[in-house]
Amino acid sequence: MSEKFSATLRISDLNDFIAPSQACIVSLKGLKNPEKAAPAAKPPAIGEPVKISLKDCLACSGCITSAETVMLEKQSHEEFLSNIESGKTVIVSLSPQSRASLAAHFGLSPSQVFRKLTSFFKSLGVKAVFDTSCSRDLALVEACNEFIARYKQHNSATGEGCKTSLPMLTSACPGWICYAEKTLGSHILPYISSVKSPQQTIGATIKHHISKKLGFAPEEIYHVSVMPCYDKKLEAARDDFVFSVDHHGEADSEAGELRVAEVDSVLTSGEVLELMKLKSVDFKALEEAPLDKTLTNVDAEGHLYGVSGSSGGYAETVFRYAARTLFGTQVEGPLNFKVIRNSDLREVVLEVEGKKVLKFALCYGFRNLQNIVRKIKTRNCDYHFIEVMACPSGCLNGGGQIKPKEGQSAKDLIQLLETVYMEEVSVADPFANPLVKQLYDEWLEHPGSKKAKKHIHTEYHPMVKSVTSELHNW
Amino acid sequence: MEEALEGNLELKEIQRLEGHSDRVWSLAWNPVAGAAGVPAMLASSSGDKTVRVWQQSGRDWDCVAVLDEPHTRTVRSSAWSPCGKLLATVSFDATAAIWKHAGGDFDCVSTLEGHENEVKSVSWNASGSLLATCSRDKSVWIWEVLPGNEFECVSVLQGHTQDVKMVQWHPFLDILFSCSYDNTVKVWAEDIDSDDWHCVQTLGESNNGHSSTVWALSFNSAGDEMVTCSDDLTLKIWKSEIQKQQVGDGYAPWKHLCTLSGYHDRTIFSVHWSRDGIIASGAADDAIRLFVENKDGQVDGPSSPSYKLLLKKEKAHDMDVNSVQWSSKETRLLASASDDGAIKIWKLESIS
Repeated sequence: MSEKFSATLRISDLNDFIAPSQACIVSLKGLKNPEKAAPAAKPPAIGEPVKISLKDCLACSGCITSAETVMLEKQSHEEFLSNIESGKTVIVSLSPQSRASLAAHFGLSPSQVFRKLTSFFKSLGVKAVFDTSCSRDLALVEACNEFIARYKQHNSATGEGCKTSLPMLTSACPGWICYAEKTLGSHILPYISSVKSPQQTIGATIKHHISKKLGFAPEEIYHVSVMPCYDKKLEAARDDFVFSVDHHGEADSEAGELRVAEVDSVLTSGEVLELMKLKSVDFKALEEAPLDKTLTNVDAEGHLYGVSGSSGGYAETVFRYAARTLFGTQVEGPLNFKVIRNSDLREVVLEVEGKKVLKFALCYGFRNLQNIVRKIKTRNCDYHFIEVMACPSGCLNGGGQIKPKEGQSAKDLIQLLETVYMEEVSVADPFANPLVKQLYDEWLEHPGSKKAKKHIHTEYHPMVKSVTSELHNW
Repeated sequence: MEEALEGNLELKEIQRLEGHSDRVWSLAWNPVAGAAGVPAMLASSSGDKTVRVWQQSGRDWDCVAVLDEPHTRTVRSSAWSPCGKLLATVSFDATAAIWKHAGGDFDCVSTLEGHENEVKSVSWNASGSLLATCSRDKSVWIWEVLPGNEFECVSVLQGHTQDVKMVQWHPFLDILFSCSYDNTVKVWAEDIDSDDWHCVQTLGESNNGHSSTVWALSFNSAGDEMVTCSDDLTLKIWKSEIQKQQVGDGYAPWKHLCTLSGYHDRTIFSVHWSRDGIIASGAADDAIRLFVENKDGQVDGPSSPSYKLLLKKEKAHDMDVNSVQWSSKETRLLASASDDGAIKIWKLESIS
């Protein structure tokens, strides 16, 4: 299981419970010599060999154990099917990266995949299938707003926050967030955007807003996202993304308040493919159902639209917005991202009157991420904004994507996915998205509002190293 | 030279270096010192959180520097850059430090963070442009050395399934070797296409490899043979047609050549191949052993070489021998480090 997570998450010690981590304090003794067999007179004996219980694992900051891994197994298609059977209102939110993965696998267009998946899920009893491109546009608008605020704070040169307001680092990648919290802590966390990922944004939108419009209580909805990435399962399970509801004011003291998750379960692209196999579905032969327009980027003619970046388009969208808002410059045409060290580290610069006024970067993969972190720590980072993704090549290359076919190299598949991703999908400005406008009008008021802060933003927590994880004498 | 190995030989202790207050983990000879009037120099890493630098002065050895910052825990090992001007030290505090040696002083010019926990070993490639580190976090990192003492991470390699004990670059090719608690040796090379590094070979038990932790490895001077030592009480010799690779004829895999078993009865922590072909081993039985290729009566021809024990120095130290290192300049000069906190300099001599 653990090898499915992103490499970045794995480096921060995702370990299997059965074969305890080398970092697991409790297992230090009683295993094959950790550093070397300890002769009697050597460092203080740790004592009797200790048995590790699940409780110990959960209380320890050392590693993500299979306690969580076991928990993640629950986020599987069996769980998904049993929730449909239980009579819950099941809503699926499909990511454009998963759409592309299935499209490449079946030789279909993203739009065909979306429609066929809609008929597949509805045949199982799912009530609605939405599109995280839509919630992503909302997250992008919030990110633009946050960037302008950080930029202004940075340049006001007063107050404590100005030192840590730039560069702004994106927050959509859960592998990166987990690594930052566990390993980088307070040096880096203040730079990370407070905007929730598209997955959690659509979760919050469905459970806090759309549910009301549909006439359901939040707890009556079982919300499943389809994602290119296993780390998204950990994101969905975060405490920050679970909220309490009063049980309709009923005086049911036994039940008390209910804990409701924004996203109840995450299926990866590969798991959806497995589900189709399980149900013996001939996907290509499925009918193309009409799309649910409530939270889906589809226009009146039935065309899909969205931003073009296959890892969310954060750098591009914020760059254009900042150029327009701060410098009155309309950046036309595709952005010219220049490759710096490798194709996973690229930058784009805005020059005004010969001066470099904005410098943005895409930084994918663990090695590039390391260098960026190093630069920030030593205050040698001159970027204003960095789109950070844990996986090399970004989200299309997520660990949950369908594996290459026989004879297909990983590189060929990525290139195919990059092409398929925007096939028959028109590029659109998130600020022009009528669904996003409607969400602000009906619910969130305006970008950066109190309500938006409450529902679409989050915070990060440095993981305090436990005393025990520092106890190694070797 | 080979003839000189005949007859009775002894490993004569010529110096005992005291100063560390805890076990000494590893040793590194400065590759440019010890010749042309530059006195020999040796760095030692210790559980006392320091690195000591020792310099030869006539018949004596002086401790010329104690690097007691910035590491906050055991310094596990160190490595000199090929030019001898930079010393990289790695520690259980999860960092590596880079020291510049100029005018007799050592200045810490950079620290490398990134490993999740204890860093175990460090190695510079032949040109000094790349630095590799490995850790208990199971990863191997490759750093590029940039002007101004800047270091950039070029790759994080996650092939090992356990603690990585040692990294070592090939003596002249940019191929990296790592050995681990997972009982394997892995070979890493750059894939020009994808602009990243990949494991090109794993030497494990299924290809005549070790059946327990591999602690160290070393190359012969020609770079076409490698010796590995293990907790399975054996040394193993590996060979590659490295010349083919040098002329760009693709990767030349390493093949198991022979196993030296029956000589050790405790874990072998360290192995080092001298320029003139003597393999030294340091083990948990406090002894140092020397091996050479057995050229007598090679009835099977050169395809099945064998090695013989040249000598065994019992009680070389009072406790485990953690490191044995031949001098890079003076032949037959060996340094050893031990859990007993001492470093010894030995001379291999004929008994007159």
